[in-house]
Amino acid sequence: MMNLSRSVALISLFLLPLLTFSFSVDNPTDRRVLVLLDDLSLKSSHSIFFSTLKSRGFDLDFKLAEDSKLALQRYGQYVYDGLIIFAPSTERFGGSLDSKSIADFVDSGRDLILSADTSASDLIRGIALECGVDFDEDSSAMVIDHSSFSVSDVDGDHTLIAADGLVKSHAILGKTKIEAPVLFRGVAHSLNPTNNLVLKVLSASPSAYSANPSSKLSSPPQLTGSAISLVSVMQARNNARVVISGSLQLFSDRLFRSGVQKAGSPNKYEKSGNQQFVTELSKWVFHERGHLKAGSLVHHRVGETDEPAIYRIKDDLEFSVEILEWSGKSWEPYVADDVQVQFYMMSPYVLKTLSTDKKGLYHTSFKVPDVYGVFQFKVEYEKLGYTTLSLSKQIPVRPYRHNEYERFIPTAYPYYGACFTTMAGFFVFSFVYLYHK
Amino acid sequence: MARGLSRFLVPLLLVAICNAASVSHPISDSHRSAALDVFVPLDGSYKSLEEAYEALKSLEILGIDKKSDLSSVTCENVVKVLGSPSSALKDVFYALSVNGILKCKSGEDVSKDIVSKLQAGAKDAKLLLDFYYSIRGLVLVKEQFAGTDPSLGDAAAIFRSIKALSQSDGRWRYSSNNAESSTFAAGLAFETLAGVISLAPSEIDQSLIQTVKTGILKLFDSIQKYDDGTFYFDGSEGPISTTASVIRGLTSFAASESTGLNLPGDKIVGLAKFFLGVGIPGDAKDFFNQIDALACLEDNRQGYFHAIYAIYLLRLVVHHLRIMNKMTAEMISVEKTIICATVVVYDFRFSVPLILSLPSTVISLSKKEPLKVKVSTVLGSKAPALSVKLAQALNSKGSSVINNQELKFDADSATYFLDSFPKNFDVGKYTFVFEILLDESANEKAYITEAQTKVPIAATGAISIENAEIAVLDSDVGSVESQKKLDLTKDGGVSLSANHLQKLRLSFQLTTPLGLVFKPHQAFLKLKHESQVEHIFLVKTSGKKSEVVLVKFLKLRLDWLLLKNYLIYLLATDFLGLVEKLYYLSGKYEIQLTIGDASMENSLLSNIGHIELDLPERPEKAPLPPLQPTDPYSRFVPKAEISHIFRVPEKLPAKQLSLIFLGLIVLPFIFFLIGLTRLGVNIKSFPSSVGAATSALLFHGGIGAVLLLYVLFWLKASSQKLLDLFTTLKALSLLGVFLLFVGHRTLSNLAAASNKLKSA
Repeated sequence: MMNLSRSVALISLFLLPLLTFSFSVDNPTDRRVLVLLDDLSLKSSHSIFFSTLKSRGFDLDFKLAEDSKLALQRYGQYVYDGLIIFAPSTERFGGSLDSKSIADFVDSGRDLILSADTSASDLIRGIALECGVDFDEDSSAMVIDHSSFSVSDVDGDHTLIAADGLVKSHAILGKTKIEAPVLFRGVAHSLNPTNNLVLKVLSASPSAYSANPSSKLSSPPQLTGSAISLVSVMQARNNARVVISGSLQLFSDRLFRSGVQKAGSPNKYEKSGNQQFVTELSKWVFHERGHLKAGSLVHHRVGETDEPAIYRIKDDLEFSVEILEWSGKSWEPYVADDVQVQFYMMSPYVLKTLSTDKKGLYHTSFKVPDVYGVFQFKVEYEKLGYTTLSLSKQIPVRPYRHNEYERFIPTAYPYYGACFTTMAGFFVFSFVYLYHK
Repeated sequence: MARGLSRFLVPLLLVAICNAASVSHPISDSHRSAALDVFVPLDGSYKSLEEAYEALKSLEILGIDKKSDLSSVTCENVVKVLGSPSSALKDVFYALSVNGILKCKSGEDVSKDIVSKLQAGAKDAKLLLDFYYSIRGLVLVKEQFAGTDPSLGDAAAIFRSIKALSQSDGRWRYSSNNAESSTFAAGLAFETLAGVISLAPSEIDQSLIQTVKTGILKLFDSIQKYDDGTFYFDGSEGPISTTASVIRGLTSFAASESTGLNLPGDKIVGLAKFFLGVGIPGDAKDFFNQIDALACLEDNRQGYFHAIYAIYLLRLVVHHLRIMNKMTAEMISVEKTIICATVVVYDFRFSVPLILSLPSTVISLSKKEPLKVKVSTVLGSKAPALSVKLAQALNSKGSSVINNQELKFDADSATYFLDSFPKNFDVGKYTFVFEILLDESANEKAYITEAQTKVPIAATGAISIENAEIAVLDSDVGSVESQKKLDLTKDGGVSLSANHLQKLRLSFQLTTPLGLVFKPHQAFLKLKHESQVEHIFLVKTSGKKSEVVLVKFLKLRLDWLLLKNYLIYLLATDFLGLVEKLYYLSGKYEIQLTIGDASMENSLLSNIGHIELDLPERPEKAPLPPLQPTDPYSRFVPKAEISHIFRVPEKLPAKQLSLIFLGLIVLPFIFFLIGLTRLGVNIKSFPSSVGAATSALLFHGGIGAVLLLYVLFWLKASSQKLLDLFTTLKALSLLGVFLLFVGHRTLSNLAAASNKLKSA
């Protein structure tokens, strides 16, 4: 029953509103962001995070999570492009907001940053569950790691984790490598294995486990080792992006400024990797990076420039598509070597990797298969951290016409010869037969 | 409702933010570096004079000199505001405040207009904020410009009209029309009243001051408290602003002459701890409020605190109040005035709080580090001569390990330290209780400390791991089939094999540096199958046993044995009971052991090796192994290329062969022609008459044309649209009609000729 409702929720999350894209196509970055806090003092304690967002041009609207006037929509239109929920203890949102309206918000292609913490409420867990993230059910459990904790002078129970299990994706975490470990203190979560849209961005080390640090363990912990995710992201099929963190402190000024030294490592860093990690992650989640746009699919016969209405089997054709990436301010050419095109009818007949001119134009050429029917050019581009491109264009392929076959077949020369000699013989014979005396 | 909830949540959250709240740290260099980030001027100046004042004041308190960078533009604004008589009271106030720091305008040349404007403002004000700006402005004028006389005309009247805004619960209203009262406003009011007192030409009536003090004591009834002795005021402006406002008001009220104020010392320390517990606020306003309030607490040294007398008096009051329960209402009011009187008669001011902080709350026994303690004021300046005593060190069971030990003092680093721990001091978690004893009676009056500071301390050390062994046992007999010694500090290459009837036993000893048994928080054994299915066993203590007994439990179990004070962790895995948990997956399992604890410096994750398990076939009803998450990197790799395989054209014979056969086909025609000549064929009966000959020629020409049409159709039809099937058929039908006609003529001519021949 639980599984069923979960899968229903998942399906509704991904399938419902594929077409209602919130951003203007030319400027996909979010602008208006609602920040829900369970205490306004978070504004001050997490000010660096908020001020970097503001300096990047976001319009932040701070509200208490219990605010009775909360609403994401007005007159049926969404008022916000993004939502940050920093209210781990909130049991009920004020106003018209609930977990369903947040799911709808994501369904409409808008973005979400959700941060839980130890003793996260069922509401927050429920929202995370819809995104394929299961927080540890034990509300007193925290991530403990006796091998890769931060050598911190005020922390004696190894719950301040110095994590460096970052996902290898330039799209999500930027091109600059995050050198210093990321400090984390909070609750563990695992990912639903049936949901392949969600992935770990920051995972725990193999020696980590999730338990209550102040009581003895009576049964094996639910989550151990690298199965623990500390921060996860989900990109829905409509390219809505969600960041789920098990720690609210991860975003705090205190951990941003804190120095870090991982246990057993001689490297001491002046500043933790948190600020860089969080800033890069927020760039990703608010579509400042990793958002792709493709021009239309262009194809024509070799040597021609116009697109034909139909191809004949065995035609040679040229195919090209332009792919651009949004840099936060403008569209830049996207350069990669793994964009592929399919020539598709029920299943791909041709699948080719496109070569690029490094200016965003991808092209290839191939011969139309000798199967006729209605084909499609399909570009389905999925890359870790990037928005999914799914383009297709239909094109029919016809067989040879009767007069397009080869006409003078050498093998048939004897038959031709037989015909014509018979005709010539008949002509001669007609004289002989009629006029012989 | 919402506000009520948020009030409830504030303490929760603050505790969450500073979970080490019991260990406060004074303002340090991290605050100073953060201040430069928080107070960033835009193009060399701040948006408003208010912001400029807050920034300059905070930087000044922290000892950061940025005045020279900012003074030019900001001073321009200050001079402009002070020079113009139309400036708002608020702007004038902040301009004067900034001027107090930057000294843009000094000497005696403040505009008379400004002073009279402020004086008129104070006289005509109806709103608390107007009183505040004008009177504090006049105080600033008095401080900065010696030549002007900013005194108030009728100070007592102004005092009364401000007092009229107070509420019975000690809070104040912003205006007489607005019934809403606030603690924040109370702080502003105290500051304003202190200003009135200092500006009054003649002394203010003591009874008026007394009523204010009663209000202050009432206000302290609404103070909020945490369990660790932190105090704060809450209000709609947020706890930091509200508490800072109250502290600012109280210090200036206490500092103004002829007043005396009694505030309990624990509350003062509690308020200081509140501000230190906030950490480093990122908001400029909160940052200023924190630093300014702490500076207020630190700078107020004008008075002396007669501690003993205060306690005596408080006891007296309590005693009185107890009697009061049986007294009439009249008597209660009398008693209240007595309380006020005691407060006034004994001139109390509040003292400078001292904060005990520890650079590190983790003691490493293996490194033999001393425990360091620092005592300083809230802003981090040096404390007076004092001694720190470790009153108690409680271990996790609550029994005291160290009692009444005085800490040594190192004058160079100004730290107190405890370098030797008693012999029975082992790894674990402790609660240290410190007491600060102030030297000399003179200091005792000016400083105040917490009675006891409780600090959680973690003592860590290297735990020795010995006698690690792994063995596969025969379940029934308990006989050891294969036993191997292990070195858990290294990854071993142990290779074992077992079936479902056997047991796996892993045993090791953990001892603390003192040689006592050690039970780690984390002791997991993980069996991981090739298909990533894993099962974790908790190494669990289950009771004392005097000898090794392997019980035939169907589950994994651990027995720990006390043998000569050593704890042996024994993990016996019975594969019979496990098969279901392992989902009947036979094959290679990796064995991984994790031992860790907060007190253990050598926590380890050891890959012991692998075991080859031979488990029975999976019954149909048994659960399937859970789905394992897919690797995201492999999910997004490009697909393998597909290229279409075209149909192979049919195999054709070589062209030469066709030509040979063409030749063979042509041969009969040639033989036919040769045969005709051999037979002596002639065409002598070709008609001789012109008419018959023409029709015969036309007839044969027609046949030739039809044959030619066929040839042309075959040759040209594909390449030229000229001769398609329809045009060809059209031409053929025309030729056919023509042939019919001429053919008939020709044949009838031939028949007539042959008839003539027969008849002749």
